[in-house]
Amino acid sequence: MKVVTGVVGNDIHVVANRLIDLALRARGYEVFNLGVNTHLQEFFDAVVETGAQVLMISSLNGEAEGWGREVRLLRSQYTNLDDLIMMIGGNLVVGSGNGEDIAARYRNYGFDIACHQVDLNTGLDMLAALLRERGIQ
Amino acid sequence: MKDTGDKLLIDVGSTYFKICAGDSIEQYMRDFNREILEDLMAKAGQLIARYQPADIRVCSSANGGLSALIIGVTRTFSLKYATNIAFNAGINIIDTILYQDIGNCSLPSDLVDVVIIVGGVNAHGGLFSRSLYRYMEQLQYSNVVYVGTERDAAAIQTNIPDVVVLPNIIDERLHIVEEHLKVYLTNLYQQDIEGKEDIKRLYEITANQIYSTPYIVNRALPVIDATFSVANPFILLDIGGATTDIHYSKDLVEDNIVTENGYDRLVFKRLGVYKSRQSLILAAQGNEFTYELLTHLKVTENIFKEQGERATKVLMQLAVFLVLCKMSHYRQSYINLKLLQINSIVLTGGITKVLTVAEIDVIIAFFYSKILTSDHRPVAVLDSDYAIWTLGARGSY
Repeated sequence: MKVVTGVVGNDIHVVANRLIDLALRARGYEVFNLGVNTHLQEFFDAVVETGAQVLMISSLNGEAEGWGREVRLLRSQYTNLDDLIMMIGGNLVVGSGNGEDIAARYRNYGFDIACHQVDLNTGLDMLAALLRERGIQ
Repeated sequence: MKDTGDKLLIDVGSTYFKICAGDSIEQYMRDFNREILEDLMAKAGQLIARYQPADIRVCSSANGGLSALIIGVTRTFSLKYATNIAFNAGINIIDTILYQDIGNCSLPSDLVDVVIIVGGVNAHGGLFSRSLYRYMEQLQYSNVVYVGTERDAAAIQTNIPDVVVLPNIIDERLHIVEEHLKVYLTNLYQQDIEGKEDIKRLYEITANQIYSTPYIVNRALPVIDATFSVANPFILLDIGGATTDIHYSKDLVEDNIVTENGYDRLVFKRLGVYKSRQSLILAAQGNEFTYELLTHLKVTENIFKEQGERATKVLMQLAVFLVLCKMSHYRQSYINLKLLQINSIVLTGGITKVLTVAEIDVIIAFFYSKILTSDHRPVAVLDSDYAIWTLGARGSY
């Protein structure tokens, strides 16, 4: 199972990015890590280049809020991303808010899984459960 | 770098010949009614006769170079990487096609020298299908090279006659791998020169390989501070009669390209003040700041219809402005440079014979205040005696 991951926008939280990379590999995923400061188009383009089934975006400094709104529009410009599973996690807003409300907002942006201030392993369990639910090995 | 004090260096440009012997550089306007060698010998035959073929080094930007069409599956990886490699090999890119849109793309009317097909990491496959082969069947091209995922190589070879398959230019970390395609394109450029009678005849006077001029200039950049007082980081603008080349260091790019080369090159093919004069004027007329700049320079748009020194100066100034615009966020193109970080703008080519530092400073100040709304002012450095070309030519053999 191929996963493209990276930190969206002008965000240099490399430690979290590295931890996600390691955790994904430990669970057997084939990881394509775009690193920090990644633009949204690069994520989708990396999915096309690699044939990844999962796009996992992280954000630590609130950048996701701005970029998230662009996701549906940008994704719609690609002809071959219909089956892509999209996940976002980290600190998804500037300031504070209710985790469920924030997750719902991001699902509305087009993400299948949104984890605001959720433990990494819990988030990866959520991904595994979704993959099982959709019958993806 | 070798000592080449006794070598003769010749550059065949679109408008001028430049000839460097020792510390002296002469420049001759080309006569387009004569063959290149005949014209060159008429102007500098006596000097050339004093040198052995092994001591004569020729580079050329006059044969038009190779035209390339690139087909890739994404803009930020395959198309961008192939474009970068092609530019650095001295190739002119006529168009790039995003593969998913290939069904709606029009065919170039002219014969394409080389088509580059790229896409996917080696762990992925099945990216290309019938739509690519249909497009290729209708396209007129001389060479085609495939540098995408190795999983699709067999299908590509089956369906596209005479395709050359090289290792993927995208590695498993989505990084660029330049070498194989760059060598292929550089060799193709060489074969192209050898196939063009005009340039081929120059081998009658030299025993050395004839390189493309941008390649030679690019070679000089890492050692440019040996000759100039240039404050890093800098960009180099080579504005000539037919094209404009921009050379820049990689750390000025907000980009995902990570290569071993310190410097990259970008070409604006139809931006010059002699052969490309009309397309330069068209580009200027399409820029909303042009008329404000003309007012700033105390001329009107009637200058476009004029000939003579004043008109050439203004066109050169416009060329500098348009190039800076094209590299900024104001006019998104292939690449955007961190123009607020540069400390020097080095100018070489025909422009140095026309404009003074003061006349260039006016444009730099206008661009930075109007487009970037900044007080930053990089210093203009003029390579008025073509020292960068001689530096590159001396180091490249």
